[in-house]
Amino acid sequence: MEAINVERLVKKYGNNEVLKGIDMRIDEEEFYALMGPNGSGKTTLVSIIASVRSPTSGNVKIYGKKPDNAKELMGYVPQENFSSPMLTGRENLLYFAGILGYSRSGAKKLVDEILNKMGLSEDADKRVSRYSGGMRKKLEVATALFPGVKILILDEPTTGLDPSARREFFGLIEGMKKGLTILLITHIGADAELADRVGLMDNGKIIVENSPEGLKKGSGLENVLNVETPIKSEKVAGVLSKFSEGRVLETEMGYRIYNKEPENITPEIVRVLDGIDCKTTKIEIIKPSLEDVFFKLTGKSMVVS
Amino acid sequence: MRQVAVVMIKMIKELLREKVALFWIIAWPILWVLMACVIFTRGLPEDVVQYARGSSTICMMTFALMIAGMTSIPGSIADDRERGLLSKLKSMPIRPWKDITGRILGLLVFSALAVILVALVGYACGARFSFTFVKIGQSFGFFLLILLTSAGIGMLVGTFIKNVQGAIMTGVGISVVTAAISGVMSPYSSLPPWLQQLARVYPISSANSSVLYLLANGEEAAGYNPLMGGRIALTMILSVAIFIVGIIIYSKLCWRRE
Repeated sequence: MEAINVERLVKKYGNNEVLKGIDMRIDEEEFYALMGPNGSGKTTLVSIIASVRSPTSGNVKIYGKKPDNAKELMGYVPQENFSSPMLTGRENLLYFAGILGYSRSGAKKLVDEILNKMGLSEDADKRVSRYSGGMRKKLEVATALFPGVKILILDEPTTGLDPSARREFFGLIEGMKKGLTILLITHIGADAELADRVGLMDNGKIIVENSPEGLKKGSGLENVLNVETPIKSEKVAGVLSKFSEGRVLETEMGYRIYNKEPENITPEIVRVLDGIDCKTTKIEIIKPSLEDVFFKLTGKSMVVS
Repeated sequence: MRQVAVVMIKMIKELLREKVALFWIIAWPILWVLMACVIFTRGLPEDVVQYARGSSTICMMTFALMIAGMTSIPGSIADDRERGLLSKLKSMPIRPWKDITGRILGLLVFSALAVILVALVGYACGARFSFTFVKIGQSFGFFLLILLTSAGIGMLVGTFIKNVQGAIMTGVGISVVTAAISGVMSPYSSLPPWLQQLARVYPISSANSSVLYLLANGEEAAGYNPLMGGRIALTMILSVAIFIVGIIIYSKLCWRRE
């Protein structure tokens, strides 16, 4: 059964067309990740699905209903930290339970259960201003997990979280997947890899959709050479680009080089970089990530950590 | 009703836990009452001093309501927008009028607390009022008009000024400047004639003058008789109009699905 159906969705702000005729279908209980760089239109798309914005043209259906009439079915978690820092975790959840119309006694019981499920019971009566980033995000996801919610929409939930908090967060999501359709917005490939299906979005369009493995296979990338350097400059990138089939991708720590036989060019790369006084701090052959696939398809980079 | 109640409870808790709100809405007016009683009214004749202190206390009760409506409401709207709470709420089954009703009721409870504390401090410092139960009831109505006007202005500020600091500072600016030029923080008689005209029309100052007339020393404290039929009607109409305009603009613009 289709949980979300988006047809020919267009969104314009003045002359700026942010979404250019998006078509997207997500099945019930599917975990779908929408991945793209900042400004690609991901947040605009999900905010239309979540009934926060309206489209210029096109249709969105949630279980066959317009988003406005299906708000009870969706739990939307915006990118920002929207919980009140002046209230405790429990008080925040009681507030959202009240907004959903739960009676005081019903809400108390339910909030206890949700806090327990999210592993926040011990800190439930602390003010949110004293929560860590990971705890706060878990609390905010909890606001979208009241009974009746069938679609969980997460907009960049791991922004600002350290790797261990990210792992813990997705461990939790993994445990809750049953019975939920999840739409995840991210620009981090490792997060998107957890999904059943990934849509890569660029410039207001979904350019390709497939399983994470399917996307990697379809890209033709087999191995990638990851080079970490103490210096990043046009000169270094220029030298490395001679070894790459296509452009090199700049990462947080260095560069990615695309070559069918990376093991053959590794010693030469080290030698050439030495020659321009740029000592290689790390060089390794790795499996391609979704960021590499996106780069291959669009020539644009997302931040690779 | 449950939705209105949870928004109200959230608003009250946030205001009670926010040190800046506690300072500006409760401590600041109390400080002025203390200064008025201890410094500014010193040396006045015995038969005048109690009412002068009473007038100062009433004006600070008004000022507390002004600050509450004109800074807390825009601050909370701008903060909720900046933090993404408004986006979250738009995706939930709640109507804007329920959200704003809850906010106003929360503000009403909090500012009632502020007004009572200011009045008690004034009384403890020698302020005296001439009151009957009828006059207290009438004064409550005028204080409510002051809060409605302030909240209406606050909703407009919160809707148009997106940044939290900007919204709060604009609210403080409007409340301080209008209080100063309309006779809330200065005697009506000391205002130039054109500002006296403004003071009679601006619903906050005319409601404040009405309370002064009722509870302080009649026309001597108010500077004129604000309780004539047409003036009361004008004050009520303008207060309610500003409040309704604030609600409509807030609901239409802040909750608009762009």
